[in-house]
Amino acid sequence: MKKRILIVLAAGLLLCSSLLLSACKKTPALQKYSDYNFDYFDTVSAITGYAESREVFDEIAKSVFAELEEYHRLYTIYHRYEGLENLRTINELKDGVHRTVTVDRRVIDLLLYAKELYTLTGGKMNVAMGSVLSIWHDYRTEGIDDPANAELPPMERLIAAAEHTDIANLVIDEDACTVTLTDPKMKLDVGAIAKGYAVEMVAQSLEKRGITGYCLNVGGNVRTIGAKPDGKGWTVGLEDPLGGDDYIAYLSLTGQSLVTSGSYQRYYLVDGKAYHHIIDPATLMPAEGFVAVSILTPHSGRGDGLSTALFCMPIEEGISLVESLPDTEAQWVFPDGSKRASSGWANYTVTL
Amino acid sequence: MDLTKETPKPEEKKKRKLRNDLILIGVLLVVLVLVGLAFWLFRGTGDTVIVEVDGKVFGTYSLSKNQTVEIHTGEGGKELNLLVIKDGRAFVETATCRDGICAAHAPISREGESIVCLPHKVVITVKRSENKVSEENVPDIIT
Repeated sequence: MKKRILIVLAAGLLLCSSLLLSACKKTPALQKYSDYNFDYFDTVSAITGYAESREVFDEIAKSVFAELEEYHRLYTIYHRYEGLENLRTINELKDGVHRTVTVDRRVIDLLLYAKELYTLTGGKMNVAMGSVLSIWHDYRTEGIDDPANAELPPMERLIAAAEHTDIANLVIDEDACTVTLTDPKMKLDVGAIAKGYAVEMVAQSLEKRGITGYCLNVGGNVRTIGAKPDGKGWTVGLEDPLGGDDYIAYLSLTGQSLVTSGSYQRYYLVDGKAYHHIIDPATLMPAEGFVAVSILTPHSGRGDGLSTALFCMPIEEGISLVESLPDTEAQWVFPDGSKRASSGWANYTVTL
Repeated sequence: MDLTKETPKPEEKKKRKLRNDLILIGVLLVVLVLVGLAFWLFRGTGDTVIVEVDGKVFGTYSLSKNQTVEIHTGEGGKELNLLVIKDGRAFVETATCRDGICAAHAPISREGESIVCLPHKVVITVKRSENKVSEENVPDIIT
């Protein structure tokens, strides 16, 4: 009798442990790898992907980072590189005026895309805002370095700078591959679009190589390349912009992009109040309607530009813009933590 | 304990059989509950915290042990991110970086969550230990 009990018990335990073991054993043929880089677009670039070996993954990651670096060098407004014309050199003055600069085709493409988005967003996404944004950038940088003496930029200076933000003065000659800023006091700032556009271009070149099962995340610009090897979408957890413990949404992406703009990402404190980096062209102050806006779209450049524009728009205006665009959804998070989403957003949300 | 030595009456034998069966069922139930409990307990929490500096692993720390880790970076290690692991959650208490975004980040505890210090190229990520039951409720990307 005792023996019988022991035998059955042992069998039961065996069954349980084999169940447990089989649960962890689910090893697919492809392994998941990831890698980071800190050198581009003033943020973290992450690549995650499924590959048969570390070597195969590293090879692809290397090519992605190399391409991102090229875009970074072309699109930066902060750095000069020997022998390279980029956004920084377009902004520079010579004898009090901007030169006509012959640039790489990829700079022309970005600026043409930026003009398109300007029209689409009714001017809320304006790369010609550089003169205003550079003032904010300087005050923010100084405020971060010396918090005790942090100040807001004087409104008169911002208003004076806003006189020189007409995108019509950004003259692009497609055939000659040249760019001219015809207002000497204007500057370009492509911070709202360059990162997302570069991510999109890099993702498209992976797609052209037939690569699938990868995901790029450059400072909140997520772009998936195909589905995961098991055919399922990539699950993206959206962090709570107010710092709560739970994700505010899970989305499943297959080839799409998800871009989030948040007031919590880049800011500085003046007298205890946070001033973030998304400046509303209408008020020349940080937009205050939302703490985060996320855009789901096929094109990461469009997502990047839209997230900034929607941040500066009243909710109803933003919703009708999103509803008018194909395959585009968005979610807004208000300062009190409540949320609004476009009509098709729920089609992409999942529960884990 | 000495059950077999005596020669019990048939009814007693039956009773004993029933009792043993009940014990057996009881024990099996307890085992099942324990296994289920283990599954449930380890479902949502990652196991270790991996600290990487500029893409290289700086160290791996158990999330279940309260500890403080000084992450020194930069020239001569003069830059610091002070990582604190407390009650299964990891956070950066102070940092010498200029923006302090890492120190403002909420504590992390679930697999895949991370805190990044861009100026110091520090990435702190929660990882599940290798021999643990696979977690299905973990997003692939967090943003």
